[in-house]
Parts: sequence; structure tokens; C-alpha cells
Amino acid sequence: MGTISKIHEMLTTKQCSCTELTKSYLEQIEKSNPELNAYVNVTGDEALRAAEAVDKKLAAGEEIGMLEGVPMTLKDNLSTKGIETTCCSKILTGYKPIYNATVWELLQAQNAVMLGKTNMDEFAMGSSSETSYFGGAANPFNTKHCAGGSSGGVASAVGANIAAYGLGSDTGGSIRQPASFCGIVGLKPTYGAVSRYGLIAYGSSLDQIGPITKSVEDAAIVFDAISKQDERDSTSKGSSEETYSKLDNDIKGLKIGIAREYLDGVRDDVKEAVLEAAEVYKSLGAEIVYFDLPALKYALPVYYIIACAEASSNLGRYDGIRYGYKTAHYNGTHDMICRTRSEGFGEEVKRRILLGTYVLSAGYYDAYYKKAQDLRGSIIRSFNDAFENCDVILAPTVPMTAFEMGHAVSDPIETYLTDICTVPVNIAGLPGVSIPCGFNAKGMPIGMQLIGRSFGEATILNAAYKYQQAAPDKFMDTKWGVKL
Amino acid sequence: MVTREDVENIALLSKLFVPEEELDGLTKSMQEIIDFADAINNAPADGEGFDNINNLSNVFREDEVVPSYDCKEILCNAPEQAEDHFLVRNRE
Repeated sequence: MGTISKIHEMLTTKQCSCTELTKSYLEQIEKSNPELNAYVNVTGDEALRAAEAVDKKLAAGEEIGMLEGVPMTLKDNLSTKGIETTCCSKILTGYKPIYNATVWELLQAQNAVMLGKTNMDEFAMGSSSETSYFGGAANPFNTKHCAGGSSGGVASAVGANIAAYGLGSDTGGSIRQPASFCGIVGLKPTYGAVSRYGLIAYGSSLDQIGPITKSVEDAAIVFDAISKQDERDSTSKGSSEETYSKLDNDIKGLKIGIAREYLDGVRDDVKEAVLEAAEVYKSLGAEIVYFDLPALKYALPVYYIIACAEASSNLGRYDGIRYGYKTAHYNGTHDMICRTRSEGFGEEVKRRILLGTYVLSAGYYDAYYKKAQDLRGSIIRSFNDAFENCDVILAPTVPMTAFEMGHAVSDPIETYLTDICTVPVNIAGLPGVSIPCGFNAKGMPIGMQLIGRSFGEATILNAAYKYQQAAPDKFMDTKWGVKL
Repeated sequence: MVTREDVENIALLSKLFVPEEELDGLTKSMQEIIDFADAINNAPADGEGFDNINNLSNVFREDEVVPSYDCKEILCNAPEQAEDHFLVRNRE
């Protein structure tokens, strides 16, 4: 499997040069991307330049870091200086940021090799990547199914071995859900653990950047590299705790909580897989405790009200004046801005802007936005109470497996409902990691999530790693891409 | 209840045009989403409200002049520019 540590070993033992490795990834992208639609922009020249720098270091006998020379990808809402960053929206076509996102700056400083930018739901609004201006990303386990969303392109690329790892963003599940659908690992860090500078905003109080990887070790390596305090994001605290060195800690006596509400309405095969994982944990010496979290009942409407309210404000900046798409014909400035936005945004983005404007407008603010914020406080306190009695919460990541292409776009409300297990973590600002825990009868992956206390990434990654070691058969590779 | 007038009004506030033929469909879809959001009406909030996540507090620093982006660099993404400014024509 093309994991970070495997690639690091290959490079340091001179089994291949970084340039050769990068070329083989680029060849595989060319071969499989027409079917997967994971990448929306392949940056081959930049990748080979970065690879060359790593080869020079290796030739000079210098030591290289874990992430040096490892071919990876970024979701297309992460700003990359001089490289088109579109959020997969028509309104940002041609936009080339003049600065790098902090996360990309941190990885670039470690000579990461970026193969390109990956597909996503337009402005990260969606659960299947099909609201993308470039069309949906396919699932490497079965291309008739979507890769999930909104970071579907990253998950598709990593699942298909056309990137060793990638960075996505998670506002209501957009890292964990596609990771679950594609049978890989996705970590949504604590709010504030990773700087959001250079992440094109959707819901600023919910957004977090995190890794999508083939293994739990890889998630820890990447998280440790990007969780730094950054003065350019006033909500960034960084992470004080290294996670990688704690992966193998004994979990005997670890209290794993299961909130009954998380299992409501979940498909039987998913529920069985999660409960089977609980048994694995028991065999590893962890204790399983059941509890109620009634506040979860309101998590979905609270999430959609807050996310859309923040989106309606954040997306106010697209006006056809400073960057991106501008309408061709208009009469007056107001007309120009309205035409630009109406032509530039897709249907789902417009729906969420309208909903956000509605819940913030006079007469509705108290009933919706203010009430949702009050309930957000209640949900946070409910999680705090839950963590008095357990160390980690175990839950399904998604109530089902990957939808077939075209299913998610047909009914917005039904699609919103599939976010039920992921949004509570964003509302409460907590860390959550999705890892594979089984397959359904059709061979599609099932994911489970481990949720931790604020800044408790080390604990959830430790628990995730122990499961990965005990149940390696759940971490299955696909037929695609580079085979190492 | 979401009316056609509500949708027209919020579209104006959102600086979006909704074509006449899409108004009814959008009103219906907005009503469905608002019905879904209405689930929070009867929810018992604990009355303690919400301040922020993870006890974040304001971050202050000295207001020092530091180099920033070059004006020309910023303007290179503008659909139209003139004399180091964004250009907005009244009509096109």
C-alpha cells in the first residue's frame, strides 16, 4: 500500500528516485482520472520540480523528513499561490491566489510533492461532490457510486492510489464522509488545531482542514505537520500534543462511549459493523459504555441554519469586481453583481445563500439563527457531560454506504439527512476520525468515527491505530493506481 | 410560511436573480427546508446560550506597519482594472 512511511522508506533506501515515483503517479493520474474525475487540475511540472529538489538532497546524502517527496494532493478550496483555485465553482474560474494557505506553506517547507488540485462540491456544499462545476468524483470501489463529499476528489484520489495522501476541509463531515465512502482514513481536527488561513471560507465557525490518508499512522504524521499555531488565523491555537508517538499506547481501560441516538436510523449493515468494532475494542481491553445524547436530535437543523447563515455572509465577496467570473452584459452595478452571482453560482450554493439570508433577516433572526446558536451551546455542553463518563465516543460515520451517482442531487433534504452522524462534531468543535470498519454485501466500505475531547487527537488516533492493527482486513486497497 | 414575496425579497438581499419560472419551485423547496429547520422551535435550550468554541479569546498584537501584497499582484485577478484600481463600468 502506498502509505507515507512506505514511500519514505523507498526513497531513503534508494529503491526509486522521487522523480521516478512522481512520474509513475502522474502516469496513473492520466490513466485513471478520466473515469474517476478526482483531479480538476494536475500540476505535473510543479510536482516534478519539487521531486527534483528532493532527489538533489538524497544525492547529497542529506536526511529527508517523513513527508519529503511524498506525492499528495490538495482540495481545490485550499489556496495555492499562482495555481488556479476554483472551489469547483464557475464563479472562481481563472482565480490564481497570490498567497498560499498556511497548511500548504507548512507542507511545502517539507518538500511535499503536490500532484494537483482535487474535485469537491462547489464551495464544499454537498455530500457527493456532484455539485462541482466539473461533475462528480467517482468511488474507487465502484465507479457507479460517488466518492462522497465535499472532499470527494481527495478521497477518490487517495483511495485510488493516485495520491499518497491529501488535505480536505470538513464543515459538516466533508473529510470523514468521503473517507468512509472510499474505505480510507479521514481526520477532522479540533476547531483551532489547524490554521484556516487560505482556506476559502464556507462556514467559518465550523470549517477545519485535515488529512485524508490510507492509514491511521499517515493521518497522525500529516496532522502533526499541519497543527501549528498561526497568527494569520485568530482562532488558531495549534496542537500541543504530538500524536504519532502515542499511536501504540495501550488502550486497556479506555472508556469508549456509544450514544444510542447515533445508531437511530442507521442501516443495519452499518450498525452491525460498528457494533462489531465495539467487540474488537472490548477484546483489546477497552470498556464500552452506552449513554444518551438527546441534544443530537437537533444537530442537523442547527448545523444547516448556522452553516448557511455563515455561508451567505462569506459568499458575499463574489461580486465580479475583484476576482473570478464576471457577467458579459449588464446595466448598472447592482445588475452586474446580481447577474455575475446568478450565472456564477450553482443551484445548491444559491439555495444555501438564500436560506442563510432568510434565517438572518429581520423577523426570522431570533427564531432561527439565535435559537440555533443557543442550541449549539446546549450540544457542546452535552458532549462535555458525555466526556465525564467516557474517553472516546464511537459512532457510525454515515448511516449508509456510498450513494449511486445522481442520487444525492435529486433530493436536497434527504441528502442533508445523511450528514446526521458527522455534523455534531463540527457544531461542538471536537476532533473526529473516520476509519474503515467493514464492507456491505455489495463490497462497498463502511466507516466508523471516533470522537474525542477538544484537542484530544492523540487519544482518538491511538484508539484508531489499535483497531487498524487488530482488524487490518477492513483496510482494503483498490485495484487502481500506483502499486508499491 | 415561505411566500413568493419572501423568496423575491431574500433574493434581492442576496444579490441573486431568480427567474420568474423558477420562483414557484424555489418557494416550495425553501418551504421544505424551513419546515425541516422548524424542528428547533420546540427544542429545549438550556438557557446558557453560546459564546464560542474551545474558550477562544481575542488575539491582540501591536499595530505595526509590515509589508503587504503588491497592488499589481492583487489586481492581476480582477476581471477589469485601470490605473492601479479595480474597474467597474456602469454598463457593458
